[in-house]
Amino acid sequence: MAVVLIALFAVSAVAPLLFRRFGRASFYLLGAVPAAAFIWLLVNFNSFTSPNQAALAGEDNAPPGIVLEWIPTLQLELAFRMDALAAVLSLLILGVGALVLFYCARYFKNEDANIGPFGAQLLAFAGAMFGLVISDDLILLFIFWEITTILSYLLVGFARARIFARRSALQALLVTTFGGLAMLLGLVMIGQSAGTYRLSEVMAMAPELVSRGTLIDVAIALVLLGAVSKSALVPFHFWLPGAMAAPTPVSAYLHAAAMVKAGIYLVARLAPGFSDTTYWDPLVIGLGLATMLIGGWRALRQTDIKLILAYGTVSQLGFLMLVMGQANAGAAIAGLAMMLAHGFFKAALFLVVGIIDHQAGTRDVRLLSGLWRTAPKLFVIALLTAASMAGIPPLYGFVAKESLLEVLVAAEGAWGTVVLIGVVLGSILTVAYSARFIWGGFANKQGMPATPFKAVPWLFMASPTVLTVVTVGFGLYPAPIEHAVSGFASLFPATEHPIHLALWHGFTPVLGLSGIMVVGGLLLFRWRTGFGALQARVPALLDAERIYKGTLNVVDELAVWVTGRTQRGSLPFYLGVILLVALIVPAVAAIANDTPVPTTIAWFDTPAQLVTGLCMIVGALAAVRANKRFLAVLMVSVTGYGMAFIFALQGAPDLALTQLLVETIVLVAMVLALRVLPPPLWTANPSGHRVARAVLGIGFGLAMIAIAATAMASRVADPISLSFPELAYYGGAGKNIVNVTLVDIRVWDTFGEITVLAVAATGVASLIFVRGRGDARRRAHDVEPGSVGRARADGSGGSRSAAALATARHFAQSAKDAWLVAGKTMAPESRSIIFEVVARLVFHTIILFSIYLLLAGHNTPGGGFAGGLLAGLAMTIRYLAGGRFELVEATPISPGTLLGLGLGTAALSGVVPLLLGGHLFQSAVWEFALPLFGEHKFVTATFFDIGVYLVVVGLVVDVLRSLGSEIDEKTEKRGARSGGGRRSTEARQRTGAGR
Amino acid sequence: MMGTQTAIDYAPLAVLLPIFGAALAFVLRRHVMAQRSVTIGALVVTLALESWMLVSAWQNGAQAVMIGGWAPPFGISLVVDEFSALMLVVSTAVSLTVLLYATGQGMADGDEDGPVSVFHPAYLILVAGVSNAFLAGDLFNLYVGFEILLTASYVLLTLGGTTARIRAGVTYVVVSVVSSVLFLVAIGMIYAATGTVNMADLAGKLADIDPGTQMVLHVMLLVAFGVKAAVFPLSFWLPDSYPTAPAPVTAVFAGLLTKVGVYAMIRTETLLFPGDRLNGPLMVVALLTMLVGILGALAQADFKRMLSFTLTSHIGYMVFGLATGSAVALAATVYYVAHHIIVQTSLFLVAGLMERRGGTTNVDRLGSLAKLSPVLAVLFFIPAMNLAGIPPFSGFLGKLGLLRGGVDLGTPLAWALLAGALVTSLLTLLAVARVWNRAFWRRAEDAEEPDPILLIAADGGASPAPVKAGPIVRGDSELLPRTMVYSTGALVLLGVSLTIFAGPLFDLADQSAQQMMERTPYIEAVLGGTNAGGGP
Repeated sequence: MAVVLIALFAVSAVAPLLFRRFGRASFYLLGAVPAAAFIWLLVNFNSFTSPNQAALAGEDNAPPGIVLEWIPTLQLELAFRMDALAAVLSLLILGVGALVLFYCARYFKNEDANIGPFGAQLLAFAGAMFGLVISDDLILLFIFWEITTILSYLLVGFARARIFARRSALQALLVTTFGGLAMLLGLVMIGQSAGTYRLSEVMAMAPELVSRGTLIDVAIALVLLGAVSKSALVPFHFWLPGAMAAPTPVSAYLHAAAMVKAGIYLVARLAPGFSDTTYWDPLVIGLGLATMLIGGWRALRQTDIKLILAYGTVSQLGFLMLVMGQANAGAAIAGLAMMLAHGFFKAALFLVVGIIDHQAGTRDVRLLSGLWRTAPKLFVIALLTAASMAGIPPLYGFVAKESLLEVLVAAEGAWGTVVLIGVVLGSILTVAYSARFIWGGFANKQGMPATPFKAVPWLFMASPTVLTVVTVGFGLYPAPIEHAVSGFASLFPATEHPIHLALWHGFTPVLGLSGIMVVGGLLLFRWRTGFGALQARVPALLDAERIYKGTLNVVDELAVWVTGRTQRGSLPFYLGVILLVALIVPAVAAIANDTPVPTTIAWFDTPAQLVTGLCMIVGALAAVRANKRFLAVLMVSVTGYGMAFIFALQGAPDLALTQLLVETIVLVAMVLALRVLPPPLWTANPSGHRVARAVLGIGFGLAMIAIAATAMASRVADPISLSFPELAYYGGAGKNIVNVTLVDIRVWDTFGEITVLAVAATGVASLIFVRGRGDARRRAHDVEPGSVGRARADGSGGSRSAAALATARHFAQSAKDAWLVAGKTMAPESRSIIFEVVARLVFHTIILFSIYLLLAGHNTPGGGFAGGLLAGLAMTIRYLAGGRFELVEATPISPGTLLGLGLGTAALSGVVPLLLGGHLFQSAVWEFALPLFGEHKFVTATFFDIGVYLVVVGLVVDVLRSLGSEIDEKTEKRGARSGGGRRSTEARQRTGAGR
Repeated sequence: MMGTQTAIDYAPLAVLLPIFGAALAFVLRRHVMAQRSVTIGALVVTLALESWMLVSAWQNGAQAVMIGGWAPPFGISLVVDEFSALMLVVSTAVSLTVLLYATGQGMADGDEDGPVSVFHPAYLILVAGVSNAFLAGDLFNLYVGFEILLTASYVLLTLGGTTARIRAGVTYVVVSVVSSVLFLVAIGMIYAATGTVNMADLAGKLADIDPGTQMVLHVMLLVAFGVKAAVFPLSFWLPDSYPTAPAPVTAVFAGLLTKVGVYAMIRTETLLFPGDRLNGPLMVVALLTMLVGILGALAQADFKRMLSFTLTSHIGYMVFGLATGSAVALAATVYYVAHHIIVQTSLFLVAGLMERRGGTTNVDRLGSLAKLSPVLAVLFFIPAMNLAGIPPFSGFLGKLGLLRGGVDLGTPLAWALLAGALVTSLLTLLAVARVWNRAFWRRAEDAEEPDPILLIAADGGASPAPVKAGPIVRGDSELLPRTMVYSTGALVLLGVSLTIFAGPLFDLADQSAQQMMERTPYIEAVLGGTNAGGGP
C-alpha cells in the first residue's frame, strides 16, 4: 500500500515533464497508475476483509497495516491500515480515478494551457484520497484531508481567467478549511484524551472515551463539522454547486465520486464507536435529511444540466450521511453499497455532461435539443445511469436503495418515521430531477432545432460506458458488493433482520415505497411547470451563500476598522502606546503584588549632586520646550555634560572623561548637521495633546524613579562589582578597573560596541553619500587654491568686519608656507589665521596625548575610547580650521579603511589566543625591563584597545566627512549654481543689504 | 588552559567571523567582487561552524564558554544549548540565502556604483548581532547584541536614502531606540536589585528578592522584548517600517529581527522567571496579537505590507506556546520559530521577485503571474500554503504542537486561544489565497489598474501559439535573474525540509524545551564546574 501511495505521488510529481513530451496522451500513462493499483487491490481483496476488522495491529486476524515513524514527539506516525472499509473506498477512488484520467485524454486538447499541472494535480488528488482512507492516524488523516482541499482549490480554479472560477475555488477552499480546522481541534481533543492518535486504537477504546462525557461530545461534534462541510451538507452545501466551475472530469471525480465522500467516510469510520455522543444524531441525521430535501428541491430549479447533477449530488450526500449515521450493521451494508452506487452513476453522468458540453458547446437545458437522436449511444448510457440514480430496477442503484429503505423501515421510534418520510420525499425529488436531467439533456425542445453535435469518438465514451456496465452488472448480480461491504458491517452489532443486497426481495413494503417514489417522481416531473411556479413562490428559508458572503464582508469591514484604529501611521501615537504600556504594566504589577516601596530615600549624597541633577532637569525641560533646533541640541548637551560631572563626582574619572569627549563630538556633529536643517523646531504643535504627552512623560519618569528605588532597596546579594578591583589588578594586570573591564573582563561587550560604532559611522555616510560609503578621496593639490568656501561668504555679507577680511586676504596672499597643508584651498574670506596657527600648534600635541591615553589606559585614566575621541577632536580642529581638504590631508587613510583596520585588529586580538590554544580574547602579560624606564608590564589586551582607538578615530572622521565636508560641498555647488547669473547675485546683494 | 578544544570554544567565532568579514569588507571597499566573496565566504564558514555547534549541543546539551577565560558571573559567558544552536543555524542559513539573492539582484542591476560598500559590511554586522543575541548568556551582552543588529538594521533600512525609506526609517529608529532604552533601564533595575547581569547567576538571585519587585522587573523586560518581537499593542510600528526597504533587507528583517525578540522572551521567561504567574496575561496578549495582526493583513492591497501583518500576527502563535507553559507547547514554539523565520523570509523574497516580474507588489495592479512565470507561481504557492498552516508543511506541524499544548491545558482562556489560533489560520489562508487568485490567476487585463510591464508581456504571449509549460525562468531571465530564483527556491526547499526532517527536529525542539523548563542544565553549564572568582 505504501508503494501505491508513493507511486501515485511520484508519478504526479513528474507528470508535467510527461506532458511536455507526450501531450495529452500522458493522461493514459497517469491513469495506468491507479488502474494498476486497482487491480492489485482487487487481487488481494480477501486479505483486507479479515474476520476481525476491529483487531489492533499485532493481534490475530487484524487487517494489514504499516507503521513508519515520523514525529515521535507529536505521536505522529505514518500509520496505514487497509481494512474492509478502506479497501472498498480505495477501489472506488482508484477505479473511478483511472477512468476519469483516461477520459481526460480525450476531453482536453494538446494545446490547452496548463494541462501538465492539471494532470499532476488530478493524480495527486487520487493519491491524497487513497492516503486519506488508509490512514490509521488521526492527524495523518487530517493531512490528507487538507491536501485534497488544496488540490480541489487548484482544480476548481483551472479556468483561472474567469472570476467565477476563482471565486468558487476560494469559496470551496474557505468553507471546507473552516470545517477542517474545527475537525483538527476535535481530533487533537480526541487524541489527547485517548493518549493515542492511532485511529484503530482510538476506536478500540471508544466506549470508554464516550463515557467521559462533554469533552468527547464536543470533540466529535467538531470532527463532524469537518465531515459536514467537506461533504457539502446544509448549511455548507453552497460551495459544491459553485465548484462546478471546474472542468467536468474534475467535477465527476472530486465533487461526485471521491472527495465529497470523505465526510461520509469519516462518519462511517467513527460510527462504530461514537454514534452515541450527544451531537451525533442532530448533526449527522438531522443535517443529512435537510440536505437531501434541499438538494433535491434546488436540483429541480436548475437549467444547467451540470448544476442539476451538482444539486443532485448534494441531495445524495445528505442521504448517504443520514444512512451512515444510523450506525448499525444493516445501515453499514446499505450505506456503503449506496456510496458505491452513487460513485458509479454520478461519475458516469458527469462524464456524459462533459461529452455534451464538449461536443455541443452548451449545457443549457433550454438550448439542448434532440440529442437522443443525434447521439443515441450517449443517450443510452445517460438513460441507464440516470435510471440507476432514480432507483429503477434492474439497475444497481435500485438494489442499493432498496436495502437502504429496508434499514429505515426497520428503524424504530418517531424519529425513525420522520426520517423514513423525509427519505421518501427526497427520493421522489431524486426521480424527478433524474427525469429532468434526461429530458434537459436529450429531449426535443419545443421550437428548438436539433443542437449541432459532433460525433463522439469511442475512446471518449469508454469511461462512462465502463461505469454503465458496472451499474447494470451489479444490479443483476450484487453478491460481490455484499461480500465486499460485509467486512465493514462486522464492526457493528448485528441487527435483527440482516440486510442482503438483491434485485428481488419479494413483495415487501419496501417495494411499495420504491413504487411510490418512482411514480411520484415521474408525476412531479410531468407537472414540472406548475411545480416550478410553486417553487418560485417559496422564499429561500436559508441562503447560506449570502451568509458566507456577508461574513466575509463583515470580516473585511472589521479588518479595515481595526487596522484604521491601530495602524495610524503616526509615530507619536505608536510611541504613546509603547510608553503607556511601559508605564501601566509595571505599575499594575507593582500594585497587584503589593510591592514594598522603600520609605526612606536618600535623594542625594552630596549637594553638588543635587545641583547637577537640577541642572540636568532644567536642561531636559528646556530641550523639550525649545523652539529652535540649535537650542534643543544645546540643552540636550547640558544633560550629557551633567552626567559627566556626576560620574566625576562618583569617582569615575574614566567615565567622566569619555562622556565629556563623546558629548563634545556629538555636539560638533549635530551643529554640522544643523546647517542644512531649518532652524525652527516646531511650526505649531500639530496634534495638540501637549498636556497628555507631558503627563505621560512625567508619569513615566516618576514610575522609573519609584521602580529604581524599589529595586535598589530589595537587593539582598552583594553585587559582582565588589570583586572587580581585585580581578582587574591580579587577573587583568591593570590598575584602571574601568579600562580592564572594558578591554578584558567584559571585552566582548566592547567588541560589540565598536562594531556598533563602525556600522553607525557607515550609516551616517550612507545617508549623506547615498550611493555608497563615498570613500573616494580628492587630495588638496588637485584643488585650485582659494576655491573652497567662496559661495558661502561673499564680500558683502557675513559677520566679519571689512578690516578683518582685508587682513585675511593679505595673509592668504603673502603666506607662502601655509600653516595648514590645505589652508590655501580655502577662499581667503573664510579663513581664520589665528585658528590655523593654533590648529597647527596643537594638533600633534593632541595626537601624542591621545596615544598616551591609549597606552596608559590600563593603569591610569584613559584607554582606547578616550584616546580615539581625543584624536578625533584633533581632526575636528583641523577640519574646522582648514576646510575639507585639510581633513583629507590629516587622514592619509580613508575612514572606511580605518574602521576596517580597527575592527580587524580587535577581532584578531581575540582570535590569536584561541588559535594558540587558549580562550578567545584571553590576555597575557608580558613583563620586561627597559633601561631608564625600569620595569614594565605589557598586557596583550592593549592590541584590542588599539583596535578600539582606530574605530573611534574612523567614526569621528567619517562623521566630519559626511556631515561636514560633503554638506559643505553640496551647499557650495548649490550656491555656485544659483550664484551663476547676474540677477541672482543682485538678489543676494539685496537680501544682504536688507539685513 | 591548553586543553583540547571543542565546538563550544569556537562558539564566539559565530559572532566574530562575520565582524571580521565586515572589517575586510570595509577595507576592500573599492572591489565589489572581493567584498562579495568575503561576505559569502564569511557566512559559509560561520554556517559550517554553527552546524558543528548544533551537533555538539544536540549530543551534550547546554555548554558555556567564558570570553577571555574570566569566570562567571564576572566575565561574559556565551551559552550554546539546543535552542540557541538551532536558532544560529537557521538564522545564518537564511541570511546566507538572502545574501545570495541580494547578490543576484546586484549583479543583474549592475551594482558597481550601488551602495554595496555599505550593504556588505552592514549585512555581516547584522548577522553578527543576531548571532550574539542568540548566544548571550549575559543580560547586558544580550543588550549589546540587540544594539549591533539594530544599528546595522538602521543602516540597511535606509539604504539609498529615498524619502519613503527615510520616513519609515524614522519610525523604526525611534521606536527601536525607545525599546532599547526600556531594555537598558530594565537591566539597570535588575542589576540594582540583584547585583549581577549574568543570566545563570540571575536565575538564582532573582528568586531571592521580593516577589513584587521581581514581578515589576519581569514585566519591564517583557515590555522591552514585546516591542522588539512586535507583540500587540507594541507592534504597530512594524508594518509601517519594514515594507519600504529593498526586498532582501525586508526579507531578512522579517525573518530574523522579531524572532530575536521572541527568543529573548522565551529565554528570560524560562530561565529567569519560571512559573506561570504571567501565563494568563500572556495568553490574552497572544490572542490579540494573532487576531489584530491577521485582520490587518486582510485590509492590505500591497503584498509586502500584508506580509508584515502576517508576521506580527504569527508572533502570537509563539507567545501562545510560551504562555501555555508546557514542554510540548514550548517545543512546538521552538519549531515554529524556526519555521517562521524560513517561511516569512521566503515569502518576502518571492515578493521581491513578484515586484521584478510584475513591476509592483500591489495586488490591485498584478495579474497573470502564474502564466507569465510558472516557476514564480510554485515559489509563491508552497510557502504561502506553509504560512497558512496547510499540512503537511511545517506551519501545520508547529500549530499541531501548540494545539496539543492548548488542549492539555484546557482552561477557558486556553479554549479561547485555540479558537483564535484556528481563526487566524483560516484568515491567513484567506489572505494568501486572495493574493493567489488575483496576482497569479487573474488575467493582468482584469486587474484594477494593471502594471504596464504585465500587459506588454501578456500581449507578447497572447498569440495562440501553444503554451507549453515553459522551462525554468524561460525568457524571464532578465526580469528574474537565475541567482535570485535559485536562492529563493533553496529557501523554499529548506522550508519543505522542515517537514521531511520534522522527526529529528521536533526531537531536538522537545529536548531543548525540556532543558529550558528544567533550567538546571543551563545554569550548571555556566556556573557549575568552574571556580568563581578566578582570573585567567
